[in-house]
Amino acid sequence: METIIPSTSKVLSSLLRADFTTQWRNRRAVIMVILVPVIILISWKGLIEKFGGAFALSNCITVGLTAIGLMGYSNSVARDRDKGVFQRLRVAPVPSWSIMTSRLIVQLALIVIMILAVFFAGYKYDHISLGRSAYIMSILASFIGGAMYLGLGQAIVGMITNPETVSSTSRLVYFFFIMIGLFGAFGALGETLGQIVRWSPYGVVAHILSSSMHPESWDGEATKALALAFAYTALFSTLGIRWFKWNTAK
Amino acid sequence: MDNLIQGAILAVEDLNIRYGNIQAVRGVSFSVHPGEIFGLLGPNGAGKTSTLSAIEGLLKPESGKIRVSGYDIREKPLHARANIGVQLQSTSFQPELHVGEIIRLYAGIYNVSMSNEQIGEVLASINLADSSTKKFGQLSGGQQQRVSLAIALIHTPRLVLLDEPTSGLDPQSRRKLWERMEKLREKGRGIILTTHSMEEAESVCDRIAIIDQGKIIVTGIPQEIIDNNRNNAEVIRASRKGKITLEDVFIGLTGDAVRA
Repeated sequence: METIIPSTSKVLSSLLRADFTTQWRNRRAVIMVILVPVIILISWKGLIEKFGGAFALSNCITVGLTAIGLMGYSNSVARDRDKGVFQRLRVAPVPSWSIMTSRLIVQLALIVIMILAVFFAGYKYDHISLGRSAYIMSILASFIGGAMYLGLGQAIVGMITNPETVSSTSRLVYFFFIMIGLFGAFGALGETLGQIVRWSPYGVVAHILSSSMHPESWDGEATKALALAFAYTALFSTLGIRWFKWNTAK
Repeated sequence: MDNLIQGAILAVEDLNIRYGNIQAVRGVSFSVHPGEIFGLLGPNGAGKTSTLSAIEGLLKPESGKIRVSGYDIREKPLHARANIGVQLQSTSFQPELHVGEIIRLYAGIYNVSMSNEQIGEVLASINLADSSTKKFGQLSGGQQQRVSLAIALIHTPRLVLLDEPTSGLDPQSRRKLWERMEKLREKGRGIILTTHSMEEAESVCDRIAIIDQGKIIVTGIPQEIIDNNRNNAEVIRASRKGKITLEDVFIGLTGDAVRA
């Protein structure tokens, strides 16, 4: 009797349905991911006047991307790995890449929802509106930034196997990035630290987002930030994939 | 060995598995045939789970061949896995998903089309008809085992791997599981079972292999193994009630030291 292998589309659609359902049932965490950048944006009125709408939007989206990559993705992967969810899937006729692809597609959908929520809040409460090409460019830039933070999340679960340690590490990195990133962006950390923050993972994502909201003023600095974002993504993803273990057994 | 491999659903030949400096499995060979329950017994750390993990394709052996339904697990891993139904020792499913959703997920990835009614029938067959909307974590240990076994069989696999399926079950649940295994045997499936229960091995297994320190030390029909080792001094010393049991043979052959 001939063995029939399930098609990739069938496997992916089954995994996606399950992963989206799982995400939906965790909607309290999803709401937090979306609410934090929206609340920062709404309560940022004075700074919008001082730094401009694009600056506020780009920093808020960066905060959301950081939360998705570090708090959402890495913790869910660490938990499912620890519980043996991945091992059960991997003994089925499922290519390993499809398990992770499904997870990443769900995160990309979450990124889109978060961006739209931030744009909507910016328009509704702060009257920040961008041109059509600026919206498209900033969504593309958000995907690049999202990929970088998902890569960082992957690097954390690649290097750390214990889910509690992953959780505490990702929270620590999240708060460090947010605090240092925002204060650095305000110029509150001095010239030297400000430069470090500017070219840090937080800084480059905020930079390309901010520049994509003014596509006409895209300059060499923005291109440098974009190149660095790709380099960070490649570095984090390589580390995360290279060291990733599908189970926590020693 | 060649006679045993012919017609086998599972053929393991000269399997070696190494973790760094530790040789976990040394030259293990055995086969499982249609309509046979094969027990893999051994103390903790003997190499049972490593052997099963290699059969499932979860770890890469140092050397050796594994063929499932004629497919080499390394050359055609998806074909081989499509012929295996697995119940892992510590299986878990996404805790947010309902039992019916978990069955739908696995039906999908095993390419089995299932309507809601058919999912209901699967649940009814394991006496969980009203549990479709319960989360997996809300079920008792015995109910979880039944769901796990139902999912392992969802695609009518030719080979079923059961890794300590009755650990933690009450006697009633254990007996029910044995009955299910026997029904699978009647349908011509090959079953490989790991267990620490000698009673279980004696009751349901057609053949067993005792593995210790990564090596198979004896293979055969349970009663034959008892008979062949009846006069072994170590086995007699291990005997507690005068009558030699499979457990006495097991302890006599693997030693009475508690393994980590």
